[in-house]
Amino acid sequence: MKLQHNLGGLEGLDPINFETQVFVEPWEKRIFGIHTAMMALSNHLNTSLPKYEIAKAPTTFKGFWTWGHLRKGAEAMHPFEYFRLRYYEKWLGGISGFFVGEGYITQEELDTRTAELLADNPTATSPLPKGDNAAIDTQVDKYLKEGDSPLRPAPTPPKFKVGDKVKVKNVHPSAHSRLPGHLRNKEAVVALVYEGAFTYFFPTEDGLGTPMPVYSLRFQPQDMWPESLTEPNSVYYNDIFEVYLEAA
Amino acid sequence: MPSNYPGFKYGADRETYNAAKVKALESLLIEKGIITGNTVDQVLGYFEIEMGPFNGAKLVAKAWVDSEFKQRLLADCNAACQELDFPEGMSGAEGEHMRIVENTPEVYNVIVCTLCSCYPWPTLGLPPYWFKDPTFRARVVREPRVVLKEFGVTLDDSVEVRVWDSSAQIRWWVLPMRPAGTEGMSEAQLADLLTPEAMMGVATVQV
Repeated sequence: MKLQHNLGGLEGLDPINFETQVFVEPWEKRIFGIHTAMMALSNHLNTSLPKYEIAKAPTTFKGFWTWGHLRKGAEAMHPFEYFRLRYYEKWLGGISGFFVGEGYITQEELDTRTAELLADNPTATSPLPKGDNAAIDTQVDKYLKEGDSPLRPAPTPPKFKVGDKVKVKNVHPSAHSRLPGHLRNKEAVVALVYEGAFTYFFPTEDGLGTPMPVYSLRFQPQDMWPESLTEPNSVYYNDIFEVYLEAA
Repeated sequence: MPSNYPGFKYGADRETYNAAKVKALESLLIEKGIITGNTVDQVLGYFEIEMGPFNGAKLVAKAWVDSEFKQRLLADCNAACQELDFPEGMSGAEGEHMRIVENTPEVYNVIVCTLCSCYPWPTLGLPPYWFKDPTFRARVVREPRVVLKEFGVTLDDSVEVRVWDSSAQIRWWVLPMRPAGTEGMSEAQLADLLTPEAMMGVATVQV
């Protein structure tokens, strides 16, 4: 069991931190932009919807990077570190680790440059290098506007229909899952069958990655938690991939 | 009540170190031809100017004054977006499959992404900090009324609370109730009343 998959319903937490800013430190903007650009330049986009001519984008980035990779990294963290670090701190660690691991930069380069910036030598106040190839940014803009839809034609009809009772399987969460822990072994009713089928960025050990139906499921709180921990007159919906479900 | 838990420990240089590291990373990526010196600013500009909560606000305001449009928005959010004069990209990144649910006197909706931070970028922009914070993600799925009360929304037990969690690719958001006293307002004036929080279901619309 991974804590990262099992946030839902935790007891004993503090009041909500009602911070409405998107970025609570100016540096966080930069890692958000880097991550989004990586998704926009990822090598899988030649097979995505729409099909991008990604090989023609004049970037030296030839890697595969999606939300799935970012999430997988966060799920691999030490669970206490996951809570210790702020949202974009996790991104900074995961993304810089990816670039080092894939050999685009070395750890030494990153550490040396970071140390120079911290030492407040001329590098610290100098502007970022310009780079030049505007066609890279054209692809980034195109991705932002056209996206990366996982919707595909349905290979088989959905197994379940609206109103059916289903049970969520307790699949092995493995390295990456889209099944929240608090739903495992729980029963729900199909509220909606989404049209078509949904693929995932890459195959996961728990069964995602081929186009499959997705359902909006309606859960009753008392089916998820002890009655004394629930509230009156509330329902909970979640969108769940078919591979995680069986007939109840 | 806040707990007595003292919290995690951090170095005094936490933010200066993070800022230096991200600048180091960005400058190396530019030098190596992965991105350009303009890429990050271009991405950020896109969410400041083209895709943000001002888009969702226009859709909600139109739905408030045009009940037939409201039905189309509730039935197919992405198709309804095409009826307004938005910049290109309303079905782009993180907006490929959006759905909106309507608050009524009987039903109150709130969105969450327990697993991470799924959010409809084209209509609401980028998610605020609180939405990404593990405390909100953990608590709202089990005790939405208590959480909403902390946000300042007190609901009678007769109102059904619906929590919408995103674990697949559908991005949910909320059509809040139009407040009283806005009868004579134009769509633009109505749009000005809307906040991201109102369209996420943790605030009511104030005049």
